[in-house]
Amino acid sequence: MWKSYEDLQVLKGVSFELAEKEVKVIFGPSGSGKSTLLRCINMLNPPDKGEIFLHGKNITASGVNLNEIRTRIGMVFQHFNLFAHLKAIDNVSIGLRRVKGFSKEEAREKALEALERVKMAEWADHYPAQLSGGQQQRVGIARALSMEPDIILFDEPTSALDPELIGEVLQVMLDIAKAGTTMVVVTHEMGFAKAVATEMIFLSEGAVIERGTPKHFFMKPESERVRKFLKQLEVLYGTHEQMIDLLEEEEK
Amino acid sequence: MIFQQNNPIGEIFTILGYWDRILSGFLTTMWLYVWALMIGFFLGLLLSLFRQYGGRILSRVSGGYIEFIRGTPLIAQLFFIFYGLNIPVGTWNVLARFSIFDKNITFIFLNHRILFGIIALSLNSAAYQAEYLRSSIMSIGAGQLMAAQSIGMSRVAGIRHIILPQALRRVIPAWSNEAAYLPKYTVVVSLIGATELFGQAKSIVADSFISLTTYIIVAIIFLITIAIISKGLDTLHKRTEIPGL
Repeated sequence: MWKSYEDLQVLKGVSFELAEKEVKVIFGPSGSGKSTLLRCINMLNPPDKGEIFLHGKNITASGVNLNEIRTRIGMVFQHFNLFAHLKAIDNVSIGLRRVKGFSKEEAREKALEALERVKMAEWADHYPAQLSGGQQQRVGIARALSMEPDIILFDEPTSALDPELIGEVLQVMLDIAKAGTTMVVVTHEMGFAKAVATEMIFLSEGAVIERGTPKHFFMKPESERVRKFLKQLEVLYGTHEQMIDLLEEEEK
Repeated sequence: MIFQQNNPIGEIFTILGYWDRILSGFLTTMWLYVWALMIGFFLGLLLSLFRQYGGRILSRVSGGYIEFIRGTPLIAQLFFIFYGLNIPVGTWNVLARFSIFDKNITFIFLNHRILFGIIALSLNSAAYQAEYLRSSIMSIGAGQLMAAQSIGMSRVAGIRHIILPQALRRVIPAWSNEAAYLPKYTVVVSLIGATELFGQAKSIVADSFISLTTYIIVAIIFLITIAIISKGLDTLHKRTEIPGL
């Protein structure tokens, strides 16, 4: 994929494949084109050049019904983007009703199921502004889940959250990753990456610098650029290793 | 020669004696107001959507219209439509007559004056309402429409189900400006001969030779009406507020 804004080249030939049930983690310095990449994938921001295939179908071709394609590519946003005038439950059910044409009752039932998966069912009747950031993001995840998409894209889902709220969101993401959801996650949560990523991609200035398994990245990253970046992350955020251990213990 | 002594209380009662004309004028003013506000709202909504989402051509047409209306006097617009365009509609009246106590009251639903009055006021108000609506739409983050599209909604569905429900709630405090201005703007329609409140006031002055008191009474009627409208919109704003926001 290639993408520019005016004179600024944001993506300079980024390419990858994603198999079913894979969790791909994309990371890299800010301005490296990570968010743009995600918005290209669901065609909210179509690439200038390049092709995207979903189950063998070229969605970048002209004449493709993008609205239909987007029902199959969920998205979770950095700033949640919940519909401010709708209760949590309606945020989740509106897509089912208005896009998939479910009846009011059916949509409500499915929305409640999705809210239960993110442990937000008891907050169903609250408005976004009455919820914490972490709760809002879980509703955001439920909104994406409820459409039963083939893939869910996560655009820095925890970077706008207070530190003590990050855990609950990561926990939900771990749960759905382990349940076999296909995911592309832009994040700097290396603990999450370590736990579930099938492949990690390091993006810098619109190009893939290095890719590999979490093990590869944490044991012996090839480029100096990546090593430096990982070191910075560790200094800034810690590794969250303990938290992931804690979560896994809880599960057992 | 006897100089007539000014007796304010007496004058007030004299003017209130014309209550049938005042009532008829008030009804006409409200009639003009309600139609102009309503038609102006729907036109304004269209204009604001065109300007915000209409692409190059529609947004420019809409923007040009708004600038033109806001940049020229209402009275010029009214005269242009009434005298300038020379639309042959003839002279006719659709009216209702009823009597309260001993007085016969005539209320004109529609004649060519009221019709052109409503058209001019609507076209004018639409431009102002469009700008209120547009700034309300712009205040809603781009992320809302993006989120709507990300779950498969079309742009139009996103605007209808996500953007407008929020924009229409948010616009109320600013929009109440227009709702409070417009009753007073209807006064210009008296200049093409419609007998709304101000037109009736002029005819009362002509009959009674009492001017200041008449206009003060008319002013008080406007004041009370607009106070009620403002209060009503304030209540509407509070009732439709999004919890927690």
